[in-house]
Amino acid sequence: MDKIKKGDLFSISGLENVRISIGGIVEEEKEWEPMGPHPMPRIATLRDWDFKLLNRYKPFYAPVCDMCCLCTYGKCDLTGNKKGACGIKMDAQQGRIVLLACLVGCSAHCGHGRHLLHDMIKKFGRDVPIDFGPEVDIEAPLTRLICGIKPRTIADFEQVFDYIEEQIVQLADALHTGQEGSYMDFESKSLHMGMLDSLNKEAADIIQIACYGMPSSLPGGGPDVPLVDVGIGTIDTDKPVIIVIGHNVPPAADIGDYLTENELEDKVELGGICCTSIDTTRVYKKAKIASALGRQLRVIRAGIADVIVIDEQCIRADVLELCQRVRSPMIATNDKAMHGLVDRTDDDPDKIVDDLVSGRVPGVIILEPDQVGEVAVRTALQMDKKRRLLKFILSDDEFKHYVNDCILCGGCTLACPNGLRIGEANQSAAAGNIKPLADLFDLCVGCGRCEQVCKKHIPIVDVMTKAAYPQLKEEKGRMRIGRGPIWDSEIREVGAPLVLGTIPGIIAPIGCGNYPNGTKDAWLIVKEFAERNYIVTLTGCMAIDCALWKDEEGKTLYEAHHGRFDAGGVLNIGSCVSNAHIHDAAIKVASIFAGRPLRGNYEEIADYILSRVGACGVAWGAMSQKAASIASGFNRLGVPAVVGPHSAKYRRAFLGRADLKEDWKLIDASDGSEVYVEPGPQHLLVACETVEEALPMIAKLCFRPSDTDRGRSGKLTHYIDLNLKYLNTYPPDWHLFVRTASDLPLATRNALLKKLEDEHGWEIDWKMKKIREGPIRGYDPSFNPTNLERLIREKK
Amino acid sequence: MGMEIPFDVANIPGPEMGEVVSPEVIGSYISNAERPLLVVGSEILRDKFFIEIAIEIGKKGIPIAATGHSIRGFVDTEYADNVMYYNLHDLTNCLRDPNWKGLDGKGNYDFVIFFGILYYYASQMLSCIKNFATDPLIRAVSIDRYYHPNARMSFSNFTPRMEEEYKAMLNRLVKSIRGRQK
Repeated sequence: MDKIKKGDLFSISGLENVRISIGGIVEEEKEWEPMGPHPMPRIATLRDWDFKLLNRYKPFYAPVCDMCCLCTYGKCDLTGNKKGACGIKMDAQQGRIVLLACLVGCSAHCGHGRHLLHDMIKKFGRDVPIDFGPEVDIEAPLTRLICGIKPRTIADFEQVFDYIEEQIVQLADALHTGQEGSYMDFESKSLHMGMLDSLNKEAADIIQIACYGMPSSLPGGGPDVPLVDVGIGTIDTDKPVIIVIGHNVPPAADIGDYLTENELEDKVELGGICCTSIDTTRVYKKAKIASALGRQLRVIRAGIADVIVIDEQCIRADVLELCQRVRSPMIATNDKAMHGLVDRTDDDPDKIVDDLVSGRVPGVIILEPDQVGEVAVRTALQMDKKRRLLKFILSDDEFKHYVNDCILCGGCTLACPNGLRIGEANQSAAAGNIKPLADLFDLCVGCGRCEQVCKKHIPIVDVMTKAAYPQLKEEKGRMRIGRGPIWDSEIREVGAPLVLGTIPGIIAPIGCGNYPNGTKDAWLIVKEFAERNYIVTLTGCMAIDCALWKDEEGKTLYEAHHGRFDAGGVLNIGSCVSNAHIHDAAIKVASIFAGRPLRGNYEEIADYILSRVGACGVAWGAMSQKAASIASGFNRLGVPAVVGPHSAKYRRAFLGRADLKEDWKLIDASDGSEVYVEPGPQHLLVACETVEEALPMIAKLCFRPSDTDRGRSGKLTHYIDLNLKYLNTYPPDWHLFVRTASDLPLATRNALLKKLEDEHGWEIDWKMKKIREGPIRGYDPSFNPTNLERLIREKK
Repeated sequence: MGMEIPFDVANIPGPEMGEVVSPEVIGSYISNAERPLLVVGSEILRDKFFIEIAIEIGKKGIPIAATGHSIRGFVDTEYADNVMYYNLHDLTNCLRDPNWKGLDGKGNYDFVIFFGILYYYASQMLSCIKNFATDPLIRAVSIDRYYHPNARMSFSNFTPRMEEEYKAMLNRLVKSIRGRQK
């Protein structure tokens, strides 16, 4: 018999009526790299690594709720770290809730990825190759690192999702009453969940890049991807408008295809909110981004959409009610968000369109992405005519009536997540000054809680939108479309400067829009670090929000900065799932620049990144459970993150103690000697109160023990300068990061040496301009830092 | 003084919620504390009055941890006597450790006063102190214009219209604190 190949059909004589089911054929994989110690790690496999992290960056808990009400023994009062009826203490209960949040977040990405894979296999077949062009050889660093798999086609990700799903179930099991009881082990499990989530994201983005031809290093991709319009003011409401919301792009892609095939690209606007909009711009060149997540309520209520199409994640739970309010028919396209509608998949499109346009139904469910485009576009074309004369922005008289109606009871302020003083702004507007009210628009996170408690039933969101409407109409930003993977060739260029510290760091602003003080903070963070020659890599809502603001020359940051993964670059990597490529960039530095083996070798690579790659995530408006699992994934890989003040409500942080010397003991892998180092990075997960505080903190978390003196000098320059600029003072701990005089910036070296002598009692040799005594350690260019004893080359 | 609604109305932590008290009660506790610490946040920068209040308290011998970017207010006023920048997360993490040496190297604190900190961030840190700084006990109170249920003692909510009333409360507080040796 000939050799049977994967996918072949064959018959066995005499057994024609027998059906044989084969679960899968294991193909012998060509040896591309020896397998490392930890392929497909299970819950306990990387526990030692987690405990190394957790002993240095001890879990810090700030409960939102002092009780546990998960079983019928309860409610249990755990205040003061008391035990509940099951024996769980408050600290472990907090770890448990964090694990639950990470479970939800990881499941969302896993569900998304698996769903996408099903759709793509159905549409394009199993054998779509993973080929990102000549500049990307390491196509799936996380998949290689965690699973030990080098995926060749999209079908290879089936085994990746099989692994993740099995692990998710095991981790969910640990949440049950009477299982885990140690907060440290809950956190190890959260880190495991976060790692799985990073894998989810990589798989999902690779699948969609491969199938839709999204930017990679093939022609049209990379640093010079085109710019796209961002902002509600860019949506041409003279045309029929379709707004897509969510994260899972196939239905939106089908709308784009339908518009192209029917030559309607210039006649219908396709805009979006949140990550689906980012991914739509990666597949359909005429797509626009109406807003990030934070303005979802207000974009819908502005009534600009003739049809709204939702897929999954970060969609308001009351989206259908909002659509009905502005007479926008809604199409739900994903079984995870069906909103009580009737499933019309496979129905006659004529009938569906007629039902939507006539208003007989407020919305429909269509679960086949390939059926969405026709229905959405035809409905939009007809609804545009019906809705053209409708006005959803308040009239001047209505506005005046409402602001005069406010009785300054303060109920809205107590209901507002940001505690905005809405009543006082109403009062100003009633007196003729609408500016305070208009200014609240950007500070508002767009939840609508204020309206529910207003005793006078004032539609506060609409009133605020009316006040800000002149500015909103002019809100026209530009954003580079999501470029996907960082090229191997870019890593070759920047690997050495990053590890040696001469490029001061990679800053990764990612995630949601629950900002403490508006979208301008997102812009400021990106601007400050890009201008200082850090590499700034963005994804998700922060990538969108920072595009809304312009400099004095009228340029957005994407227009003012290049898109290369190099000093001073401002890169939009893509949607939430694309931020796996930021992990990938750090992993590739270890693999390509340092030649560390990748396959099944998570612990060693994470150890390398923690000690050498000056990267820092920034989730200034983190809101969702996905953000919790994303941060945990970055943290396990050795990348710290700075979060906004709302993130204190995630309950847990990972904080290092600069004052505890024993916590900062590393091993020199060259000879096994123990070395006490400066606290770099000091924290793995920390919240800042204001952006002014966050900017120096971000710079501080880029210090690494491996920095060269030249690199350290650059990092110190930025750390001190950002403190002086935003806090008006030197940081109290700058001296901890000085190992030798050459660590000090040349321009200010003498002055800083003097400060070390005067304020910290260091002994300075002024003749030689050298430090005699004072630092935690001296500078040793051959220092080879590690936390792993097994990496010691030769013991002393 | 009775019950109050948390400034963020849904922020009901559990059975133990802070008491609304007068400035004099808090002043008395501060005066009798062995090692009190004033923790200020960036909201003190909204009006010079609040920086002056913090400095007044500082001048009574109570060290100040300036969190957020509040340190700017002290630098601009050229007050540097016993004030130090600290990140609030970092500081609270230290406070829960009985062995922490404090800002002056002399040990942890027994009474912490939160002032001018973003409401929800402060609330979470107060929750940590309430739940985990229990042995030895650290009492944490708020003198902000918000009712803080996670504080052991707090003022009530003040609307912007009641700003002068709030300022008067702070003046009463300063007056009621007995000075101590620095």
